[in-house]
Amino acid sequence: MEKTPTVTPTVNRRAFLNTLGVTVGGTGLIGAGLVGGSQLLKAAQDPAKGRVPDTPFRTGHMTFLTGAGAVLGEPSIKGHTMAAEEINAQGGLLGKRKIETITADEAAGTDACVKEVRRMKLDAKIDMFTGVISSGTSPAVGPVAEELGLLTILTDGCTDFLFDKAIPNPKYVFRITNIQSSDGITAAIGVAQTWPHVRKIAHIHPDYAYGRNASEHFTLALERLVPGTEVVSESWPKLFTTDFAAHITKIMSAQPDLLVASVWGGDYVAFYKQALRYGLFDKMKVASTIAFGVAPHAIGKDHPEGVLAGVHSNYYFTYPGGDRWPLNKSFVQRYFKRWNEYPNFQSEGAYMALYLLKSAIERANKLTGGWPEDEAIISQLEGLGIDAPSGYLYMRPDHQAYKDAVTGFSKNLPDYEFASWDPARIITIPIRNITAPLGWPKPGTTHNESTAAANWIKTTWPKVVG
Amino acid sequence: MKPDPNAPRDHSLARLAAAMAPVLLLLILLPTFVETYQIQLVTYGLIAAIAALGFNLLLGYTGLLSFGHSAYFGLGAYTVAFVVQRLGPHSMEFYILIGIPVVAIASALFGYVCVRHTRIFFGILTLAISQVVYSLALKLYWVTGGSDGLRVPRPALLLGLLNFSGPRGFQQFITSYYYYVLAIFVVCVVLMWVVVHSPFGKALQAIRDNEVRARFLGLRIRRFRWISFLVSGTLTGLAGILWVPLNGLTTPDVLYWTFSGEIVFSALLGGFRNFTGPIVGGIVFTYLKTYAVATTEYWQLLLGVVLVTLVLVLPTGIVGGLSTLGLRLRKGRS
Repeated sequence: MEKTPTVTPTVNRRAFLNTLGVTVGGTGLIGAGLVGGSQLLKAAQDPAKGRVPDTPFRTGHMTFLTGAGAVLGEPSIKGHTMAAEEINAQGGLLGKRKIETITADEAAGTDACVKEVRRMKLDAKIDMFTGVISSGTSPAVGPVAEELGLLTILTDGCTDFLFDKAIPNPKYVFRITNIQSSDGITAAIGVAQTWPHVRKIAHIHPDYAYGRNASEHFTLALERLVPGTEVVSESWPKLFTTDFAAHITKIMSAQPDLLVASVWGGDYVAFYKQALRYGLFDKMKVASTIAFGVAPHAIGKDHPEGVLAGVHSNYYFTYPGGDRWPLNKSFVQRYFKRWNEYPNFQSEGAYMALYLLKSAIERANKLTGGWPEDEAIISQLEGLGIDAPSGYLYMRPDHQAYKDAVTGFSKNLPDYEFASWDPARIITIPIRNITAPLGWPKPGTTHNESTAAANWIKTTWPKVVG
Repeated sequence: MKPDPNAPRDHSLARLAAAMAPVLLLLILLPTFVETYQIQLVTYGLIAAIAALGFNLLLGYTGLLSFGHSAYFGLGAYTVAFVVQRLGPHSMEFYILIGIPVVAIASALFGYVCVRHTRIFFGILTLAISQVVYSLALKLYWVTGGSDGLRVPRPALLLGLLNFSGPRGFQQFITSYYYYVLAIFVVCVVLMWVVVHSPFGKALQAIRDNEVRARFLGLRIRRFRWISFLVSGTLTGLAGILWVPLNGLTTPDVLYWTFSGEIVFSALLGGFRNFTGPIVGGIVFTYLKTYAVATTEYWQLLLGVVLVTLVLVLPTGIVGGLSTLGLRLRKGRS
């Protein structure tokens, strides 16, 4: 068991950032793209063993189809659909079972989502559940999926709370996006590296699990990376608010050096457009955990440059760029061809969820023959590693997947009709350096921090001096 | 046999029993015909019916339109969630035992303030109070979980006699819980029937129809309204208590004014001038919303159209419309 050291060790910032493996300019994956073509698209090398039924494999995909969340929800369903179409074009799962999808609108509210998951399993008889964006939804539907025995790959809703407390020993539920605490930490590292002189900090976060988590972990990490900062203003708008005027004036009157924001989706688009009118971006630095998490075209050319525009620490379509990671190049091309727009991290997550499932089913089939039982699929999913457009994706045995964290700075490039990332300033961080390792004590066991990650930072991170 | 002074009431109870018997029999046999999912939906429906039944004591019998009954439903649900979190025992009876006094006290307190006014002023007051409760649940993040809400695991039923922890625990729980809710539902219906047919209930109707006359008869109007509010809020609160273990989670959604609107909608849908109207309305609304959400992303539009049609075409609701139709058919035959 870890014990809090009585004296927190201290280091200087540059040395600390080096030990965290922070890379700028996106050189992290050079030389990694040696595999030619898209191996995801290749049909399974061997035909499936044993008798496989040709009944459709029914999936239920829940995401925001309406409201301010839809700028994340639409890409999610598009990524899912594209993967299903590609797999079906090869004959389906194990070459036999075509993927069929029914959808549900997450915007109906948390309680309605719980009912919907039950309906999908008990009435519509789905074989697998996937999707979910909001961190308010995932801890609600996760336990429902467990009690129904419903194989689930959540494509977001990445709150630490889900596997820390709501279902600490998941059997059926997996999650493919990076854990949420890494999001706040990634933004803090971006700030510490770029603007180490900031002292007065303002916060604006949506008033629910995600905003609370982002704020807490950003502050925890920043306290260690940039000593001597103080929080001068906090705003907690309700999720899916469209009027930010009162919050913006409050932030500006506090005269902070830096604004930390985790408002997302349509909320962020509304926020930045209103903040522009007040000249907020001229008065302070802005760091966001998830500004560019929306569908890329939802951001306008009017978006200011030089904002730390996070993508939920998961994926942005221009990285890894060029020919360095063919998997990404081909994914973005196919996605553009299919939908006439660029993918976001939800598209990639939803897309990879089906390929992860496909890979696990093929492995299980090699071992058992025939259509594998859920138990066999689950044991293959645990610990499965797969190449994804975003890089290497690893499903930890505790059902939480990881990939290296990434964030970047907004810039208006002539190539796109929207503000995107400055290719020279993309920050990547090896995920193991910013997340609690497998088996780290969960809240309520040996400590009572809000997350395992918070406890891990407090007990193991040194403090920067100077 | 000697004439019984309580004869009229017995007669009316017998009438209720006669009307309920076939429906009850059908409900008891239901789990043998349908799947777990449908049983679960009917359970949600019965709970909504209890809430609407309680609500209708105010609207249908006392003539007061409350736009804040979400507060009592939500308070019931949150009380259970707090009991689970702080006190621990996973027993449904314990939840009810703690929950009922809490919602009763809350209804008494809020009712005391609200019944000082009638008509729109009453409606606005109830709405305002429920919004205060909603804001508290939303903003006290560290206590209530904010918009994430609080989880409530499956409780044991009948003082721990029935426990549901096995691999098929959920399915077993739904069936058992269905009968549990059905039993409470029957008790509520009988209780409400007795209340509205008692002298107290008649007094409420007199107040509803002509306040001035009722006052001249010597009825203490405000007190009658207050007690009516108390019973109404408590019954809706009981629905909240029963709802939360089934749903597994409570969020501020059930405290928001739109949820009050759903209760009003249910009563209108069934017909608030009928005793059975809110019961039918609660169940039908549950199905309507579930399948509207499941089939179209324009479910809000669909519900809106239903509401507008209802008000224009069937102002007396489903039950009112059916009974009018029945009367006409009978007249046509004779």
